[in-house]
Amino acid sequence: MNIKKKLIILLAVLSICSTSLIGCQNKETSKTYEPSSTISWIVTSSPGGGSDIFTRMISDIMTTENIVEGTIVVTNKTDGGGEIGRNEVAHLTGEKANNTLLTFNSGDLMPMVQNTQNRSSNFRILAIMAVDKQLIFKSEHTKYNDFKEAIEAAKNGESVVIGGSKGDDIATYEAMIEEIGVSQDNMKYITYDSTGDAITAALGGHVEFVISKPAAASEYVEAGLLIPVLALANERYTGNLADAPTLSEIGDYENVEIPVWRGVAAPAAMSDEAVAFWSEALGKVAETEQWKNDYIEKNKLIPDYKDTVEATEYVTQYEKEFMEANGIE
Amino acid sequence: MGNLELLLKGFAIVLTPQNIGAALVGAILGLGVGAMPGVGSLAGVALLLPLTYKFNPTTAIIMLGALYYSNMYGGSYSAILLNIPGDSPAVMTALDGYPMAKKRKRPGQALLTANMSSFIGGTIGMIILTFAGPGLANLGLKFGPSEMTAILLIAMTSISWLVGENPIKGILITMVGILMASIGMDTLSGSPRYDFGNMYLLGGIPFTPFVIGTVGFSQVISLINERNKTTKKMDTKLSIRGSMLTKRDFKRLVPPALRSGFLGTFVGVLPGAGATTGSFMGYAIQKKFKNEDELGTGAVEGIAACEAANNAAAAGAFAPLLALGIPGSGTGAVLLGGLMMWGLNPGPLLFKNEPDFAWGLISSLFLSNILTLIVAIMVIPFLTKILSVPTKYMIPIITVVCVVGSYSTTYSMYGVFIMLASGILGYFLQKNDYPVAPMLLSFVLAPLLETNMRKAFIISEGSLSIFFTRPITLVLMIIFISLITVPIIRGILGKVKKQKTA
Repeated sequence: MNIKKKLIILLAVLSICSTSLIGCQNKETSKTYEPSSTISWIVTSSPGGGSDIFTRMISDIMTTENIVEGTIVVTNKTDGGGEIGRNEVAHLTGEKANNTLLTFNSGDLMPMVQNTQNRSSNFRILAIMAVDKQLIFKSEHTKYNDFKEAIEAAKNGESVVIGGSKGDDIATYEAMIEEIGVSQDNMKYITYDSTGDAITAALGGHVEFVISKPAAASEYVEAGLLIPVLALANERYTGNLADAPTLSEIGDYENVEIPVWRGVAAPAAMSDEAVAFWSEALGKVAETEQWKNDYIEKNKLIPDYKDTVEATEYVTQYEKEFMEANGIE
Repeated sequence: MGNLELLLKGFAIVLTPQNIGAALVGAILGLGVGAMPGVGSLAGVALLLPLTYKFNPTTAIIMLGALYYSNMYGGSYSAILLNIPGDSPAVMTALDGYPMAKKRKRPGQALLTANMSSFIGGTIGMIILTFAGPGLANLGLKFGPSEMTAILLIAMTSISWLVGENPIKGILITMVGILMASIGMDTLSGSPRYDFGNMYLLGGIPFTPFVIGTVGFSQVISLINERNKTTKKMDTKLSIRGSMLTKRDFKRLVPPALRSGFLGTFVGVLPGAGATTGSFMGYAIQKKFKNEDELGTGAVEGIAACEAANNAAAAGAFAPLLALGIPGSGTGAVLLGGLMMWGLNPGPLLFKNEPDFAWGLISSLFLSNILTLIVAIMVIPFLTKILSVPTKYMIPIITVVCVVGSYSTTYSMYGVFIMLASGILGYFLQKNDYPVAPMLLSFVLAPLLETNMRKAFIISEGSLSIFFTRPITLVLMIIFISLITVPIIRGILGKVKKQKTA
């Protein structure tokens, strides 16, 4: 056999392999929707963070309560700040589109519309499950007793470093320092890949404060390793986070509260039957005791289930306001 | 209660027929999954997790722990036999493992060396984990941006030990690696770099397809070109006995494995460093020690150094996971998800609230380490048969492995394109005698160095003082500076001496 023939065979093998790998996308969708035996659920942030916990909790409830028969495989796609994962989900077609879910939060939407052409209209918004808010925590290494001291220090020209995750943490930080009236040079922000990484840095004393939602920080508060010092909310939290004052309590400021919504989206090509199925399935999850106790209650969230119609409306409005505020066309 | 007592209690929990069976199943599955390039422990654990729903938590975590752990063994198989690293730490294993199997015709010994040193490294890591786990995790926390910058600077200089005979080519190829790594979104500010408007490039170049391409697929291209030359068949006896290590092999294996065991454990504990950095550093340091054969030509020491470091790092990574609830890796996070599903709260209180579970997990690591070693040795004779497959069949087989492996890391054809492109790149580099390892090493280390250095400068407001005022950083910086200056001073002194004698 000459080289050419072998190369042709090689290319043929290659193309067969590649088509068999992606070929299964093109099957026809049936009228009544049945989820396939393996559901793919994409999370566009790192394992261990808030979005990841949210996703794994829902997928666990769906399987244990037999809301969904098959296996749900959660995949963390963090490439390109999550844009790759979101873009891939947006453009899925055929049978795959009906069996792929995407964790979609306000913190995902913000960088997406800022950095890419991808918009929420490229997805089916299946549901909003809960609303979350943030707090600021200090560790045993922090040299300030409370956040009021830190604000004064920053105003006197000292440099205070806050660590946090991407997206909505940055938005809340920016809203907060604007309200306080200090510059980003005096109260600095270090972006970590996930809240978990930022907490690790705070525990090691490498940042003074860490901004986090209650979920990711609660075990550390319980163990006494993190102390809540500021609630970025209109009123105080309850339980072990009750000690943290709101911004208006520590000075002549307005409270800063940027609601962080947690939702689930799907490819734009998902069929109406499938959208209805998943929206309803997520509604069933929101009704379970496990969800109420082990997620909402434990993470001090506001239960706020919105079905696909309401959620789409809410997200569209949120996106519009965000784009206007940031001058995005 | 002392840790040893707690560990023994853990063994009492683990050593039931049911649990041993679970560990055995996990070990076999893990070896299989690990041996497939691109399909890592993350996929394996994630797929197995739902199957363990019906188990009690301890049995389930034992199975998953065994799977995770045996994965580290499996990664070296395809590296040694096909020159395709099964996972990223195995890149270094391929450097000596493949030549040892192919040129020295000792495939069985190469595999056994990898397994034995994995076992030694893993055992060291676990012993350290048992007695100093929480302490180590706290030490790991002390490593902030400035400390990590200093460590990574040391690691970057150690690349120079790998460049081989031609330093210019070595430096050039290291720079190519750094350049490739800088493609994609910058992690601190989110600004795109070298993406040319392409969303895939915005996400950067994925590591595994890049490795599979430069190391594995480039070989397919050279096999096509050289297929007429390799007509000799391997006629070695393929049995466990024929794969046994000689006494001398053993003597060569143990010292590097011990050294790398300690080094790897420490690297594994550091936030974000991981098994890959561990095995790279283990190998680079081995270059500085005396080796019977030169590293890169199929030396037992080379395989031992990186495999031991790899497995030790995997054990070390459990310290922050168990002591603080910080997942060191994607796999760790899936395990955490499992813990929550069984009603356990992963986090700093796990050891206090669930001692049976936590110590059961640690002792199950010991158990699965032994089980995996046994299983691994049993399959060696079957695996080495791969080498007697004629080249004309090997070409399509390796191609398929490369394609599937690079597809499954990113779950998109993007990985396959990257693999093909870097395969062509790797072929031309190797043809022109450029070493590939420095490029891969700098590709891994450069982004870590960049983010840590930039975080350090944000904290210090742009001042260099942060690298010289913190005790750990200072010590590391002194090591770094002396690594650079000592050879120069030695060179100058040598010249002066020569002039005097002349």
